[in-house]
Amino acid sequence: MRYYWTRFLFSYPKTIVYMLQSSEYHLKDYFSWLHRSADMRLIMKRRKLDYTKKARLLLAFIWLKLLGIYLVSLAIIIFSIYIANYFIIILAVFLLFISPLIITYGISIPLWLGQKLIQEPKSRKIIASAQQIFAKHPALKIAIAGSYGKTTAKEILQTVLGEAKRVAFTPGNINTLIGIARFAQKLRGDEDVVIVEFGEEKVGDIQAMCDLVQPGMGIITGINEAHLSSFGTLDRTIATIFELQDYLGDKPLYKNLESALVSSKIDKNDKLAFSHDGVNGWQVSDVLADVNGTAFTAKKDSKIISAHTGLLGLHNLGVIATVISIADSIGLSVDQITDGLNKTVPFEHRMQPRNLHGAWIIDDTYNGNSEGVQAGLLLLKGLKAKRRIYITPGLVEQGDKSQEIHENIGKQIAQVADIVVLMKNSVTDYICNGLKESKYKGRLLIIDNPLEFYSNLDQFVATGDVVLMQNDWTDNYA
Amino acid sequence: MNKTIAVFFGGRSTEHDISIISALSSVIKPLELTKKYKVVPVYITKDGKWFSDDKLKNIELYRGNAIDEFCAKSRPVSVTFDGGMVFKKSGPIKKDIRIDIAFPVMHGLYGEDGSLMGLLRMAGIPFVGSDMQASVIAMDKILAKQVAQANNISTPKFVFFSKSEFEINRDAIVDKVMHELKFPQFVKPPHLGSSIGITKVSNRDELINAIEVASYYDDRILVEEAIENLIEITVPIIGNEILQTALPERPLLRDDKFFDFETKYINGGKKSAGKKMGAQGYSELPANIHASLYDASIDIAKKVYRMAGCEGISRIDLLIDSESKVVYFNEINPMPGSLYAHNWRASGVSSIELVERLIELAEERFLRNKKIETTFSSSFLKQF
Repeated sequence: MRYYWTRFLFSYPKTIVYMLQSSEYHLKDYFSWLHRSADMRLIMKRRKLDYTKKARLLLAFIWLKLLGIYLVSLAIIIFSIYIANYFIIILAVFLLFISPLIITYGISIPLWLGQKLIQEPKSRKIIASAQQIFAKHPALKIAIAGSYGKTTAKEILQTVLGEAKRVAFTPGNINTLIGIARFAQKLRGDEDVVIVEFGEEKVGDIQAMCDLVQPGMGIITGINEAHLSSFGTLDRTIATIFELQDYLGDKPLYKNLESALVSSKIDKNDKLAFSHDGVNGWQVSDVLADVNGTAFTAKKDSKIISAHTGLLGLHNLGVIATVISIADSIGLSVDQITDGLNKTVPFEHRMQPRNLHGAWIIDDTYNGNSEGVQAGLLLLKGLKAKRRIYITPGLVEQGDKSQEIHENIGKQIAQVADIVVLMKNSVTDYICNGLKESKYKGRLLIIDNPLEFYSNLDQFVATGDVVLMQNDWTDNYA
Repeated sequence: MNKTIAVFFGGRSTEHDISIISALSSVIKPLELTKKYKVVPVYITKDGKWFSDDKLKNIELYRGNAIDEFCAKSRPVSVTFDGGMVFKKSGPIKKDIRIDIAFPVMHGLYGEDGSLMGLLRMAGIPFVGSDMQASVIAMDKILAKQVAQANNISTPKFVFFSKSEFEINRDAIVDKVMHELKFPQFVKPPHLGSSIGITKVSNRDELINAIEVASYYDDRILVEEAIENLIEITVPIIGNEILQTALPERPLLRDDKFFDFETKYINGGKKSAGKKMGAQGYSELPANIHASLYDASIDIAKKVYRMAGCEGISRIDLLIDSESKVVYFNEINPMPGSLYAHNWRASGVSSIELVERLIELAEERFLRNKKIETTFSSSFLKQF
């Protein structure tokens, strides 16, 4: 109640729409964010409201509703004065008092109606049409599923296969059923390979995507606690991702042996189980890693590939071996594969290095999983540095295991970082507990305003520092 | 509770504008990012009025005439020395701001030369940078050279005289300079920084003109013999008793071998593409000189720092004759432009760590000085 007054601020309607937009209009996420927020002035920290058509319509709806409430209240007051019954004024005051609640919860009605009456029928139509497109398309369709690492695998794959084949792939982070269906409308029809990223939020999602895309090959990049909040149990997450295996049957499916939850479900002698040592007969050796990338040799029978990828971190080697194996299996030459690998560069916000006044900043802000944390810390530990600085808000959607996971992260960070910078949120205390348990002796900074910190990073670092920025939370997770 | 730090900048100096940039970009910004301090800006106008307002932290205010309009509309702060330093803000909302630590970011006269330090000493509050005595020595190029010579540190040959001496006995002064020093020579106003009023001369006529220019800025004039085969080196230092040096840096010279105000602040060294740009133009960082000269530069810079009694922060400028390998002391900058933060960053000290360290050093000196007895009980007054 202390901050209830902030719901009367002029900016509150905009804040509501911002929360809806940041929650991708998922009412469950919106309400969950709303219920854990007290001071509404602190909501819009990282970005501003994007005034899309939908956002403008919702904003107009809220203001009209507020106007209605004010008019009704005014009418009640005038009426009470007219009939000289001042007791009724209490009703008007009460109405005004609960007006923020009316608009906060009332906004769900037009949203729900819009989804049921407009969006869902339209989506069903697009998906049905996309299914036809994929069914008729002659290309090799490769599905990439997993809790993490999908976008990286997709990018490496398309870069290498693109050396000899016409390749289409789902752009950016598009990995929902409707996103993939919209992508299908843009296919030309003459592609040799179509790479599709599968995202999962609930049981049956991967099966539905398989039915839509009808892939002939797949990759499971890894499984962890991501989306545990929506799945409820890890078994459900595993079962959902392995819906890809159920669909593919005997068709090739590459699986990450280095992901504990994946390896527990596969035969250790599976030829298509990949790790940093290689896959399907390809052996990786002579690995040299620094801030400029990773050099390595991959051998299979008489074929030898010596390449230098701009990608940082040894954890990518398993996926790289998989890409080599796929490229080899569909007819790319050693030279074409080598050229493709040499062209791979760090992807935006995924272990992407940049120099800032002599300090190396490794932007891994799109990497928000516990495997990513381990890979990031391993990289940080392995690089030459005067000081190692680790910046993170922690991980989201870790369900009931959040405390345990973050305490472990704290313990791991304590072994590597000279300076730890934590973006203050609900898991900060857990990470601090982990640091404390490990008797961390370095410097700890807890930041209230991430935007201010990131935009003034140059003031915090000096030449010789290596800074790893791991994961970033949108405001709805803070 | 967060300590209140007053950052002083601007001032009655030819380096007024440089001071604004130094304060806003290299001191106020990192201090605020620490979240440890309440930062109070104290802007001193060119005619010596003091203003304090959060709006003065915004660089936009100083572009165009906005600052003049601001000062015309606002009331200057008054200061009381009520067991420390207290700013009294007048106007509709009266407010007292007690200052815990002062951070002078003044360049040149009435700020870097010891004047402000004297005031802060009187107020009895800790302040960043060298104390009054060291500032006086550092900001008087003649005195600094005399002190260096007394400590067996080489300086370029020099002659000095007063403005009035020159006005009365012009030819004799010029003859004396030409007799004692070879051309080329540098003519300098001894109390100014940022190379303002400095001219390089190669003949009698140029010498006379340059003295007239220098006497426009100062009441004494210094003429130095130029160093042949010149390498300029500057060494930033922080510390009180224990000194920490940044990287010796070599400012790049123009064709006429002189790092003037324009090269330092206006051009930003754009002509010298490919080299690193420091706070004051392009430079070689670290200086690419022989290891023995590199080490000697650091040693002599530290010696100069101690000899002058510098504390907190300073930048020592040196001149090297690359043929004879002699390292000469040139001058001391007790408040280097923008704290030379670019060099400290290259040396592994971030901008935030630099200002935090300077605050620590200020408090350390203050505590040390507090232990020095300043009163003496006597029965002297009883005689009257």
